[in-house]
Amino acid sequence: MACLASHPVLNVSNLTKYYGNFKALDSVSFTIDEGCVYGYLGPNGAGKTTTIRIMLGLLKPSQGEVQIAGANPSKDPVHALRSVGYASELPVLQPFFTAEQLLDLMGRMFGLPSQTRKEKAKSLLDLVGLKEWAKKKIGSYSKGMVQRLSVAVALINDPIILIMDEPTIGMDPEATAHFRSLFTSLSKEGKTIFISSHLLDEVQRICTHIGMINKGKIVFSGPIGQVLDAFTQRWVVEAELEKVTENIVSSLKELESVNDVRVEENKLIIELKEKKDVRGEISSEIFKQQGVLLSLNLHKVTLEDVYFQALKGGQ
Amino acid sequence: MGTLGRIGTIIGYEWRRALAKKKILALVILAIAFQTLVTVGIYEAYRFIGTTFLGSENVFVWILVVLEGLLFVQLIAIIVAGGSMSEEYEHGTADVLLSKPITRVEYILGKFLGGFSLLAMVEALITFVGVALSLVFFGAQSGLQFAPLMFLAIVYSSLIFFCLSFMFSEVFRGTTLAMLLALAILFASYIISPIIAFVYGISTRAIPIWAATSFPSLVMSELVTASSVLPAADLGALSQAALIIALYTIAFVLIAVYRLLKSDVAKKTA
Repeated sequence: MACLASHPVLNVSNLTKYYGNFKALDSVSFTIDEGCVYGYLGPNGAGKTTTIRIMLGLLKPSQGEVQIAGANPSKDPVHALRSVGYASELPVLQPFFTAEQLLDLMGRMFGLPSQTRKEKAKSLLDLVGLKEWAKKKIGSYSKGMVQRLSVAVALINDPIILIMDEPTIGMDPEATAHFRSLFTSLSKEGKTIFISSHLLDEVQRICTHIGMINKGKIVFSGPIGQVLDAFTQRWVVEAELEKVTENIVSSLKELESVNDVRVEENKLIIELKEKKDVRGEISSEIFKQQGVLLSLNLHKVTLEDVYFQALKGGQ
Repeated sequence: MGTLGRIGTIIGYEWRRALAKKKILALVILAIAFQTLVTVGIYEAYRFIGTTFLGSENVFVWILVVLEGLLFVQLIAIIVAGGSMSEEYEHGTADVLLSKPITRVEYILGKFLGGFSLLAMVEALITFVGVALSLVFFGAQSGLQFAPLMFLAIVYSSLIFFCLSFMFSEVFRGTTLAMLLALAILFASYIISPIIAFVYGISTRAIPIWAATSFPSLVMSELVTASSVLPAADLGALSQAALIIALYTIAFVLIAVYRLLKSDVAKKTA
């Protein structure tokens, strides 16, 4: 999957945000071209939602600026946001409206004519699986249903760029799969998508570009292929042990074929210097250190491995 | 869609939001019930005694009945305005609206006009019911040509507590706090204003004129009283009261707009 055009739709430059003395964002910069699907990754509190809220003009940056379709949402929200669709993390929608009424209001806010609003509301409710609930008050919806409706709201204006903050959080697996394929088809239609997500597998599947943020700083931003290419030359051995000890970790690190060892509970992620099946060597080293090996797998580096490595401070 | 269209959309939204709140409907029903009760009380007194404190003619009963609703009007103003801005922050729905192509000034103007126009409708209903009750119980009334003016005076005077509560709602972004503060000022001014007026009266104007007129309830009663007995009223006092109300309104609205323009839209706060 590739972007359709080299034409920037969203440009974030040198964005810094302070909450009192706390620096939530530190010179964050990235550009998204038309038709790209940009995955924005980072742990909780890294600054993802702050970035999104500045992009929508809800927060004012301490420094730097955002340009959406050439307009700054803080200064000119009417022009900047008319081509934006936004679905927030755990959205709260007006409980006294029915889904139809809310979509009608949102359509009005984008200046859509009455007939278009009606048709759009009908087709979008069908798309997100809420057709049967169109005339029921939102207050009676489950969290997952509100999440679905939030995606419908984001699509009411046929946006050029869709900004989604954890869009599938709270959805059941079936709905998650449905929305993943919806986002893929939207990107194929040429929509630019900015998606903040914890689901690395989801991001790896649908994104053309990724940005990683940690402690308010961008660790990496660029084409996903570039990241994976750089790392997929590397291979990883995943070893599950009954108990991980310091001795095992340090002895594995000393092996000539090993680049790095990461511990995740009772699992060791052993990154190799080159593609070579060294499982025998690793298992004998573990046995030597009196470790009890439960499983041992060799695989290519995934986005998840890259993510954790990037957050550790490397690139 | 232009600025007016966007403001109009928010006005419509604000109507629906405010009407969804049961406490506003409950207060309107209570105000009408109270008006009915007082009218019936005056009527029964008139039937048994043959006269009331309004005299045997009873042609000005409508003024009394309409004015009875005034306290309820202020309470409704405080409740409508007190949640107007803050509830959107508390529930997290401000995000949904402000992430759309609308400026913050358009948003707050729509909110203000929506809430205030709803309040004006409630006031129209209370005035209409007051006049209708007087006509039903006491027959033909005098000075009914002043009823629209009385309505306008009530609407205009309710701007003070509407704007005060609206300002608190945006400044503190907490509905309970905004309503409690506005209610406290309303009741305090009801208690303090007669004292100030009395001191003003006996001090042969030793107290500056603003001290006697700047308290909202005094301003309101002055305006309403003046409008109800027109054309014999003191037009100087009326215009002064009108000016003070305008100054309060402008100051409160400007503070609310400044707060919205200068601060972040926080995530859900309650």
